[in-house]
Amino acid sequence: MKALRQSGTKRRKTLVDLLGGWAKLTLAAGIIAATLIPGMAQEPKPDPAGIVTGDRTTVIDAGGNAFVVTEPTDRNTPDYAQKKKDFDEFQSQAAKEPLAVKLADTVGHVRVATNFAWTLNTGYLVLVMQAGFALLTCGLVRKKNAGHLMMLNFAAYVFAFIAYYAVGYAFQFGAVAVNAAPTNLGGTPTLNHFLLGSGLWGFLGGKGFFMAGPAYDAGSNVYALFEVVFMETAGYIIVGSICERISFWSFLLCELFVGAILYPVFGCWVWGGGWLSQLGNTMGLGHGYVDFAGSTVVHAVGGFCAMALSVVLGPRLGKFGPDGKPRAFPAHNLVYVVIGTFILLFGWMGFNPGSTLGATDLRISVVAINTNLAAVSGSATAMLFWYMKFGKPDITMACNGMLAGLVAITAPCAFVGPASAFTIGILAGLVVCVGVLFNDNVTKIDDPCGAISVHGFCGVLGALCLGLFADGTYGAGWNGVGATSYLGHAGMGVTGLFYGDTRQFLVQVMGAGICAAWAFGATFIVFRTVNAVKSMRVSKEVEQEGLDVPEFGLLAYPEDAMHATSVS
Amino acid sequence: MKKIEAIIQPHKLDEVKAALIGIGVEGITICEVRGHGRQKGHTETYRGAEYNVDLLPKVKLDMFVKDSQAEQIIEVLSAAARSGKIGDGKIVVSSIDEIVRIRNGERGETAI
Repeated sequence: MKALRQSGTKRRKTLVDLLGGWAKLTLAAGIIAATLIPGMAQEPKPDPAGIVTGDRTTVIDAGGNAFVVTEPTDRNTPDYAQKKKDFDEFQSQAAKEPLAVKLADTVGHVRVATNFAWTLNTGYLVLVMQAGFALLTCGLVRKKNAGHLMMLNFAAYVFAFIAYYAVGYAFQFGAVAVNAAPTNLGGTPTLNHFLLGSGLWGFLGGKGFFMAGPAYDAGSNVYALFEVVFMETAGYIIVGSICERISFWSFLLCELFVGAILYPVFGCWVWGGGWLSQLGNTMGLGHGYVDFAGSTVVHAVGGFCAMALSVVLGPRLGKFGPDGKPRAFPAHNLVYVVIGTFILLFGWMGFNPGSTLGATDLRISVVAINTNLAAVSGSATAMLFWYMKFGKPDITMACNGMLAGLVAITAPCAFVGPASAFTIGILAGLVVCVGVLFNDNVTKIDDPCGAISVHGFCGVLGALCLGLFADGTYGAGWNGVGATSYLGHAGMGVTGLFYGDTRQFLVQVMGAGICAAWAFGATFIVFRTVNAVKSMRVSKEVEQEGLDVPEFGLLAYPEDAMHATSVS
Repeated sequence: MKKIEAIIQPHKLDEVKAALIGIGVEGITICEVRGHGRQKGHTETYRGAEYNVDLLPKVKLDMFVKDSQAEQIIEVLSAAARSGKIGDGKIVVSSIDEIVRIRNGERGETAI
């Protein structure tokens, strides 16, 4: 993420500017790496009490300009004279007004505190989405598996959380301060080391295992809370595809895999300051790969992981007839489906606007309205599509359409205007309808809740739409690119193809493709192997009976079984 | 003595019950059943896949009546249960040999 990375990246960008050129970039990467290797330089200290985080250096005006002017270091830059003058002016003013500088420390602390409150509370909203997913997926399956679905959803939160706590967070954000410091939250300066790669080519974070040591820090813990619930979303998505046939033990393995490896690795590349986010600096590709709140980082990772698992498991018994024709297994509770969808919509109001990591970024209102617009246009499209094609609108597809719009707007929500958001929702509504029919009739991949179409296909669509519709009004200096001007305009932010930046679209295509390939490929290899050692499916008899009793000893609706048991 | 069985649309139950009590039917037994007739139900689609709704919910009534009442009951029951559309159901009349009231052992028409 996200906007707050800007000023962190600006500092490094200055260095890049100074050096310029390819050969010197490599040198710069080396220097940065050298200064960041633990032990070689003085390490920043974590702030578990939260009393040091936020001071005069975190006072930043609406335009992103810092209150404290730092001393320019390289005399060879063309604007050195101007920068030195600004610095001297600040120094003399600070000397004249020491009280103002002291006050700025408090202002900076309050600014960070405001952003803490925003980020934590939007994180809690995202947490509520887990309840939405549980209701949605449970409602969409057959009654005999309802208890099993609820247990999968519940265990997903618990086990994926543990995996993310142990290693996932460190893999994803262990080097976030190198290229993408969340300055709105104080910058988390202690998370500064790549385990694999360095500088602009980071592949895996390497600090903060078990959220201890450098990650035992107030700013880092806000970030951890917000990010862990995002990871949980990816962890929940897979339930929608693998349910009604997966055994509990193998599901736990899937969740540990998602929380520890699959999600954090791609997350590091895009949000942790990793190589995909830096392609603007290294290869001149727009602002690097941009995904504001996770169309790909969260949803496509979950969706394509779900697809791979569904392929490994095979379809549910009887899903496809002898002639290959798909059969309907109608949802057992449409009330759950609709309530679950609305809870998800509500949670998304944390997911997207919260991804600014700060209420001091007033773009949050645009993000919120864009998110809602895509939700309604996606749902309307899916309803009308089904109405015209099958004569009746399908309630479950109307809900899938809303989620499709939400997934697709998640990446571009901060960079587009309302009209584009509405259009993106329409595209997502079409993609999800075609995707569900395509999986049922062409690929024959059984996807009981439509997770592959909603999260996988529409996640990729979201990343591409950012590359098309981003209008340049927001995101100046994103990923360390174009801090002063972009495409010849001062203050120009992330820009898509329709607004003049072809390279941004190219890098979006590339990043989304890599996301799908990584999520599908890694999952497929790992779980194809697991499945070869021991089948991940329950037995045929268990699947026919329903998984509730064989796996957990009780039906979701036990009165259904009373005729078969002694109740006197 | 006759036994009259009728299979009707569930939503017609209240009207039929009221009409039968109105002409002096003493007792009715009903149960909820599922079935189909000549149309064999119909098909619906769920997320694009077709499925058959071939066993539709119906209500089945049983009553025991005197021979003299049978014709009137058939008439009243048909009128009350009729919507004129496919799926209105059937009435079956059969003769019965004996009726016994379990409480006091009464037999024949007095046991109705």
